[in-house]
Amino acid sequence: MDLDLNDDQRALQEVIQQIVSQHMEVPRTGPTLKPVEYFYADELDEALAAGEFFNVALSGDYGALEAALLVYEVGRSPLVLEIAGSALIGPLLTGQALPRPIAVARLADLTRAVRFLDRAKTLIVDLGDDVAVLSTDDLKVEPVASMFAYPLGRLAAMPDLAGARRLGAEAVEPLRRLWRVGLSLEIAAAMQSAIDFTTVYVKDRRVFGRPVGSFQAVQHRLAADVQKCRGAYWLALKAAWSGLELDASLAALYAQQAIASVNYDSHQFNGALGMTLEHSLHFWTFRLRLLQGELGGPREQASSVASLMWAEGRA
Amino acid sequence: MDFSWNDAERAYRAELVALLEAKLHENWWNDFAYDGPAGPELMANAREFNRELAARDLVVRHWPEAYGGKNASAWQQIIVSEEMWSNGEPRSSLYLGANWAGPAIMKFGTEAQKQRYLRPIAEGRVLWCQGFSEPEAGTDLANMSTRAELLPGGGYRINGSKVWTSYASRADVCFLLARLDGGGKSGVTCFIVPMDTPGVVVRPIPAIHSPHDFNEVFFTDAVAPEDSRLGEEGQGWDIVTTILHYERIGAARYEYSRRTLDHIVALLRARGLFEDPVVRGECASALAMVEAARLLTYVVIDGRAKDKPPSADTYVARFAMIQADHAVANLGSTYLPDLLVKGGDGMLHAHFTAAITSGIAAGAAEVQLNMISGRYLGLPRGA
Repeated sequence: MDLDLNDDQRALQEVIQQIVSQHMEVPRTGPTLKPVEYFYADELDEALAAGEFFNVALSGDYGALEAALLVYEVGRSPLVLEIAGSALIGPLLTGQALPRPIAVARLADLTRAVRFLDRAKTLIVDLGDDVAVLSTDDLKVEPVASMFAYPLGRLAAMPDLAGARRLGAEAVEPLRRLWRVGLSLEIAAAMQSAIDFTTVYVKDRRVFGRPVGSFQAVQHRLAADVQKCRGAYWLALKAAWSGLELDASLAALYAQQAIASVNYDSHQFNGALGMTLEHSLHFWTFRLRLLQGELGGPREQASSVASLMWAEGRA
Repeated sequence: MDFSWNDAERAYRAELVALLEAKLHENWWNDFAYDGPAGPELMANAREFNRELAARDLVVRHWPEAYGGKNASAWQQIIVSEEMWSNGEPRSSLYLGANWAGPAIMKFGTEAQKQRYLRPIAEGRVLWCQGFSEPEAGTDLANMSTRAELLPGGGYRINGSKVWTSYASRADVCFLLARLDGGGKSGVTCFIVPMDTPGVVVRPIPAIHSPHDFNEVFFTDAVAPEDSRLGEEGQGWDIVTTILHYERIGAARYEYSRRTLDHIVALLRARGLFEDPVVRGECASALAMVEAARLLTYVVIDGRAKDKPPSADTYVARFAMIQADHAVANLGSTYLPDLLVKGGDGMLHAHFTAAITSGIAAGAAEVQLNMISGRYLGLPRGA
């Protein structure tokens, strides 16, 4: 066992971190933040595309783990960028670099609200017993306004799935597995950023003559959140590495269940300032709110874990 | 990055599993391990079991050859811990010597102390106990008041008492903290004291988790020779800080919880309860917590295998283990309480009682959180 990245992976991670670090600032107009739901990281998108990072999973000896590093690092930014579909799910599901951004959805969700669908060039649909891959050129997509700090869209009408490209029943498990890995990484990254942001704030903000972060009631909850965040991170990396359905379901379950306390504590400790748009906290916490229920939420991840882990005859 | 075991590690685990299958008695959980690794039947059995381990070089394979080991990696050490803890720790408190008392002696001991104490651990001949906590110094260990007084002719006279001391009633030797001059952390000094030293008296303390685990240990003018002191006078806190990194995650509680969870699922299935989606969901959530604790522990082991200095990751891993222990234990008490009674299910009972201690032993859960707050997050100290 060796839990360090190898030299190539570390070099890749450092380059990605260096690029992402230039896109961590939320644009401001005047003294206050523009009242928008999210800021899409167009410039980060261009920088990553120029370096062909979106194809990292299809490059040489690289694969899901290297794509996972990219998904995680991009997810640290308060700016939002579609990354899991483009760098992890799409390439490893189809073996191709699909037109992006890529939206991924279950059939029943297409007319509700799907992450990135209003910007997507490709839509991957979990049909239950098959997977469809569609160009969005001929789809009628309506943007969906929300507080969730993600671009959302829904289909105004159901597409012609009969004529869509199908990947076959054998693609269903890989789609869900990769989706869960990507989801876990996005959650781990946003939770870590929310904790980091909160930690800086509670060191600086004083109440009753002391930093907020000097109170044990605050310290213990943040420390417990760190444990959950690190657990989510390592479960996600292991799932990316192993390619096992069980690992992916465990990672998604753990990550989605960790969100509640990390979100609650982050907002509690940022107080009223954390509720304002000029404070960046909500760019992570409200993404997390949406991710909490993606892919059926913890109920479905848990169902998957139980079925895979304790199939009849195994326990 | 590689999360897999190599061939040597798999073979090592297989060797341990085969030995455990051969040596653990029928009805092991109910007859021997029911009250945990400090139970009298288990401790008595451990004497023979440990010799069998030693005969196969399975006690301290991770130690240097000079001290009876085979220079194996920290990964092999955690494999031993996983297999032993998940079987109720049939070594009893030999693990204290193998996991941290021995390494502390290697790091801080004199050559004579290494010769005297390390070989008996490697040969599985000695059971340890740990004399740290006191009536007025539990989590606040630096507040301890047991005193050691340097005698004019050499040696130390020790007076005071230790409490909640696991294994003490049947242990051979105590890794003792006593205070020389100075308050707080300064003045704390380590001693290695045989339990048959005149003036050392042990009184069992029945506890909710076991009638056999806790003891009070009284030291009344107990005289320890000068070479029983480990390290320099006043160096005890540094030694303890070092070894606690080993102790906090030395017991692979996540593996114990994992196997207990599998056992719980089998019991639930036999009762027709496992098809309930709520029950399945709770089991799955517990499993996710267990596997998170495992990986966080492996992060620490990976650092140890690479000789990296201890970090705050140890506290993160320990806190994760505590959460996982309780998640699994709560499943047992929620859905199978009738099996936690006397004569019920030995494995379930043993794990349940171990989980009760999980957040208290080896530094309270709140201490782990304090350490994460300070060393991981860099939060300022409170008033």
